[in-house]
Amino acid sequence: MEKFSFKDVLILFAGTIITIGIAWVLLTVTGFVPREIGKLFFEGAVVGQRNILNTLNIATPYILTSIATVVSFRVGMFNIGINGSMYIGGLYAAWAGYKFTSLGHIPHVSLCIAIAVITGSLWMLLPALLKVYAGVSEIISTIILNFVAVLFVSYMANGPFRADPIAPATPRILETAELKQYFPNSQFNSGFFIAVIIAFLTYFILKKTTFGYELRSGGDGLVGFYPSRYSSYLGIPSDRSAITGMLISGGLGGLAGGIEILGNARYFYQELLFNQGFDGILIAIVGKLEPIGGLIASLFWSALRNGGLFVDYKTEVSREIVVILLSILIFFVSAQKLVSSLERFKFVRKLDAFFTRKIK
Amino acid sequence: MEWLEIFDISLFRSLIRSATPIALIGFGAAMCSASGVLNIGLEGKMLNAAFVGIAASYYSGSALTGFIWGVSAGVLTAILFGVLSFNLGADEVLVGLAINIFSIAGTRYLLETLFKRRGFFSDPSIQGIDPINFEFLVDTRFEKILSGYTPSIYLVFFLAIVLYLVYYKTRLGTAIRATGENPEAAEDAGINTLRMKWLTVIFSGVLAGIGGTFLSLENMTLFTEGMSAGKGYIGLVASSFGNNTPIGTFGASLFFGLGDAIGIRLQGVYELDSRLILMVPYALTVVVLILIGIRQRIRVRPVPIPEQ
Repeated sequence: MEKFSFKDVLILFAGTIITIGIAWVLLTVTGFVPREIGKLFFEGAVVGQRNILNTLNIATPYILTSIATVVSFRVGMFNIGINGSMYIGGLYAAWAGYKFTSLGHIPHVSLCIAIAVITGSLWMLLPALLKVYAGVSEIISTIILNFVAVLFVSYMANGPFRADPIAPATPRILETAELKQYFPNSQFNSGFFIAVIIAFLTYFILKKTTFGYELRSGGDGLVGFYPSRYSSYLGIPSDRSAITGMLISGGLGGLAGGIEILGNARYFYQELLFNQGFDGILIAIVGKLEPIGGLIASLFWSALRNGGLFVDYKTEVSREIVVILLSILIFFVSAQKLVSSLERFKFVRKLDAFFTRKIK
Repeated sequence: MEWLEIFDISLFRSLIRSATPIALIGFGAAMCSASGVLNIGLEGKMLNAAFVGIAASYYSGSALTGFIWGVSAGVLTAILFGVLSFNLGADEVLVGLAINIFSIAGTRYLLETLFKRRGFFSDPSIQGIDPINFEFLVDTRFEKILSGYTPSIYLVFFLAIVLYLVYYKTRLGTAIRATGENPEAAEDAGINTLRMKWLTVIFSGVLAGIGGTFLSLENMTLFTEGMSAGKGYIGLVASSFGNNTPIGTFGASLFFGLGDAIGIRLQGVYELDSRLILMVPYALTVVVLILIGIRQRIRVRPVPIPEQ
């Protein structure tokens, strides 16, 4: 992918304005006062310690799933199954959280996280192998595995891992397995820092190491977004990097699920709903498939989400409006020809050149 | 051998009912894939159609109105897909995904805003589409097998034949296949490939619309959140399993329908956990994907990489 350019920022900005316009109309038609909803929205997103902490807490899984998307897309694999990895990782993190007694805090948390990462990444093994060795579209196999994962964890929470006779849920995880919550008024926990570290680590590995170069070169020959065998011609095994990338991506998804359990929910229950895997894909695209871009976009996205939750809680407006608006925004951002048509304007070309020089 | 008892006429009927939405999506997906379009957005088109269909039927009190609106919703979503990916140069897969996410959120939003419901919507004033009973089959041995299905089910059988003829016996079918197989050659031969792609995408939108209204107005008369439940994707797998041909897709859909129907029946016999039964179609899809993989592995030899 090319670097962020002024065009992209402009289209993001224009898209946002149009999306806000659509929101305005939608709210007015359904009988709300847009200005007041907007004010509430802003308050819920970033005003006050509690709301800010909640926004950051919501951002944690988004950061991880968007980076999982970045990694898989960069190796030329369209991993849509991150949500499935999240469920699997979350389930087994909960299992490890109550199963292993008499461990210290740090070993226990590390063990839970390791199990979440490993199970999440193993979940992606089959699609990766199918793609590389038999040419089966990983898009479809990972999507289908999402459905399998949801039903599987729901079965496990109901059957083998069930503790509570009334509610289908696992036992609560032990205190030693909990990720620390620092504030009494928010579930904000140390998982956020793990996510941020992972974001910078991914940036470093992808950009500065040989391993990262090998990974990227599997996908840099993308025609549009589709993997080609370009890197094979350079002597880099693109098959191997495709599988590795897919496993890393699944592992990050598992980590996202694990942190949700260890930091927020503290036990796995049947109704637990993860959607961050899907949103992570859209976030990664807004972030131009860059780890740091994904981090920033995740924070932006979770602010909107949290604002939406606040509005949903305070008024009759459905929280889904946020997702609707964001997918409309994605329509704008992904429309490449719309972006490149901006080059028609002289000032866009000039500013583009200006910013490109700055980055170099 | 109590498990053998499940193979009876009601299993057959349940098989046909389960296979219908998958086949409808599958036909659309097969045509799209044949013209070189990977249409991930079928799931969203189906969901939109299911919701709009039931909303229109609720407000108008007429099943036909519901059907027409539902199909229009499918077509409109298809047009959105086409405009974004053909005219505005967006990536097909991304647009498809965004459409699916948009549709899940959009239907849920409308469910809460219009009907003040969460989860599902059902109302006595919703008119469903009635099954067709053939008078001339009454009291014959074929009555139980052939009569009493809803219109879409008959449409699927009809489409399997018509599409087969179009696909192999007409210029249009050849043009569609040429577009997918070798776009440059097709252009040289004077085929407007963009028009072919548009045609298949709109066609798949119509079928996804019918599939959506089948779910909400024919099979049942209610709407539940995310009621398409991956059928859009399973349809894609069915078309891929059937080599993107009409008859192959139809066969694959029947296979999926059979798995679904057996799962439902076994649940009654053995009192299995309902989640395991719900998993059957997806697990079956994974198995089919593996089979597709093995088939491709046998058929396609990997291209050797030239020495530097």
